[in-house]
Amino acid sequence: MLSRNIRFLARRYSQAVTFRTTECSPSQHNENQIGLFYSLNNDLCKQLFAHGGLPKSYMKQTKTFTETTLMVRLPALEIMNCIKATDFDKPAIRYLLYGEIGAGKSLTLAHLLHYAYEDGYLIVHVPWVSEWLRRVPRHKEMSNSQTHEGFVDLPLDAAAWLLHFKMQNQAHLKKGDLKISKEYVWSKREKTPQGAPLAELVEHGITRVKYSCDVVDALVNEIKILSNSKQCKTFVAIDGFNTFLYPLTRLRTPTKKKVAPEEVTLTTSFMELTKNDWVNGVIVLTADQLGVPPEHQESHLPKYLLYKKGFEHIDPFVPVEVGRYSEREFFSCASYYRDRLWLRGPPETEGELKLASACNPYKFMEMCAPL
Amino acid sequence: MSLFIRKYKPGVVYNTQILWRLNSTTAETQKQGEEEEEFRVLDILQKKTRIQKKAARRADIQPDRSEKMPTDQNWGNVWPGPRSFHPSSVPLPIRQGYVPKGQAPPGKKANAELMKIPNFLHLTPPVIKTQCEAIKPFCTEWPKLLNSEEAIEKHYPVEVITSDYCHASPTIRNPLARIVTMRVKLSDLKLDSRARDKFLRLVGDKYDEKTDLVTFTADRCPVRKQNLDYVNYLLTACYHESWTVEDWEKEKCLEDMEYYDFDMHPSKKNLVNWFFMSNNKENNLSDDEIKSFDTSSIPNGVEYKNAVSELFNEGENVTTLKNYDTAVRKLLGLPEKKVVD
Repeated sequence: MLSRNIRFLARRYSQAVTFRTTECSPSQHNENQIGLFYSLNNDLCKQLFAHGGLPKSYMKQTKTFTETTLMVRLPALEIMNCIKATDFDKPAIRYLLYGEIGAGKSLTLAHLLHYAYEDGYLIVHVPWVSEWLRRVPRHKEMSNSQTHEGFVDLPLDAAAWLLHFKMQNQAHLKKGDLKISKEYVWSKREKTPQGAPLAELVEHGITRVKYSCDVVDALVNEIKILSNSKQCKTFVAIDGFNTFLYPLTRLRTPTKKKVAPEEVTLTTSFMELTKNDWVNGVIVLTADQLGVPPEHQESHLPKYLLYKKGFEHIDPFVPVEVGRYSEREFFSCASYYRDRLWLRGPPETEGELKLASACNPYKFMEMCAPL
Repeated sequence: MSLFIRKYKPGVVYNTQILWRLNSTTAETQKQGEEEEEFRVLDILQKKTRIQKKAARRADIQPDRSEKMPTDQNWGNVWPGPRSFHPSSVPLPIRQGYVPKGQAPPGKKANAELMKIPNFLHLTPPVIKTQCEAIKPFCTEWPKLLNSEEAIEKHYPVEVITSDYCHASPTIRNPLARIVTMRVKLSDLKLDSRARDKFLRLVGDKYDEKTDLVTFTADRCPVRKQNLDYVNYLLTACYHESWTVEDWEKEKCLEDMEYYDFDMHPSKKNLVNWFFMSNNKENNLSDDEIKSFDTSSIPNGVEYKNAVSELFNEGENVTTLKNYDTAVRKLLGLPEKKVVD
């Protein structure tokens, strides 16, 4: 009886508030829901974003709010619209999300990932490229590549990513209908035979960390072949793609030589994947100022961040700007924060916050924290 | 005797008189003394009350010269040259300075504000006129055919600017007179596109794109003649140097180009490759064939080409990026961007 009452109350509540939408499937979102929040299923959230994908500060907030919600915003809808209108026999189209720091590029990407998951894409998602190339913990695992002369491997990072890949594509990998096209010989005793399921390849990379970078390389090739033969459609999402194109990484070889991103095997694999020489796929990239050192963060526009080389690599691409909140989005977000008791105080506070944060989503979130 | 002691005070004059009186008629003085006795304040510091001296006023002040001036005087004689402001020479009710609330600005007398600013009281139109009349006999007539700016520019493309200074001081030389500026229109020089590019690289920021003028300024030599020679030399040297072709100029590669040529860049190759792939055609064109491939055979290709060239030539900004966006969407056959509500 009590639980029924609570459920009833909950339903009444969700119908009464104006900042939520009950539509939980991204493919059904449309312009009427711009600025409204929809909540993600907890299990799904764990599956998609357990190994990164949502910004850290946002993860903290979801913990505080005891739910993961995403705002339906125009850039994501636009890309979904474009994907729906895409002819999948043509080369993969590349979209580039750009915008100021904290405008919501990563969350737009998360929204799109949810869409891709619902739509049954094979997801190739790199949560944050800087994690590989720019964040150098005390003991960064690095080794010289055995197969590529003069290249550097990041075996632990590659293995972690393979785990992420496995996690996100559980459904596809369990089915086992994705087969490998050729035999891969790793060493005298280890090899992955032709026709083995893709899951085996991934598993090999996770268990034999030494070969994880080569596995990633092989995986990328296999995914391309599988997509070309229409066995699956692939959704590639790379956050902070411009870090691949910045002239230097912060990695150093044991001989103290500075490493360029082209000399990292992971870079070559994902650069290969972002070419448009394959079909039946969607590629969404983001260009983020935070992915490069502060002295090169003068502009958030794509050509500046990607350099000419990167621009020509992904050319022709569709630039999609993730902007600041519009009036409607801002007040929807404010009322969401009020609902979560994250924001209190007189109603004039919103106006002040709007001016103080300049409608920048991240700044707004930060400013509401002590209120 | 007791009376005497009480009354006596050193330095007081009238006491002697009283003493003297005391000797003659005792009863009378006693009565008088009681009358004069009053309470006197002890003045320890002995401050003297300051007597305010009245300022001696001069009775014979002349009225201001500016008030006595006749209205039909020759102003040029009153104020013949540049000079800082002087209130009694200027018969004008001028006011200048900080305005206190509810009051008028300070008047012209003892007004530092008026003295600070430069004035042109020596350059009134009649004065200029008379001075011009005075110089006229030394001038030659203006050539009749040079009747317009265009004609002047056509016949005298090189413009030399110098300044002469004239002032009353022990020396007639002014160091600023040595500076020589020469201006010439770039379009007047006979240059082809390669030579023009080299010339621009040689002169650097001396060229102004808006006015198409190349400006050389020299002040390094002590005399004007030398500076003029130097400026002439600069122009001549730059011109001839831009026409010579050095061996290393053949090494000029794509990044050194002064503008973005779409056909030469990898973007063109991307476009052509994409076009062949999306039509499932075999692409076996060589690099040169790709460069000469006609963009207009690709639907919406020309617009895309223009958008990319604009993005690189004009630099990246919101407008060029938006144009690129629309061009790409048309090229790829995607729906147009929605307008935000």
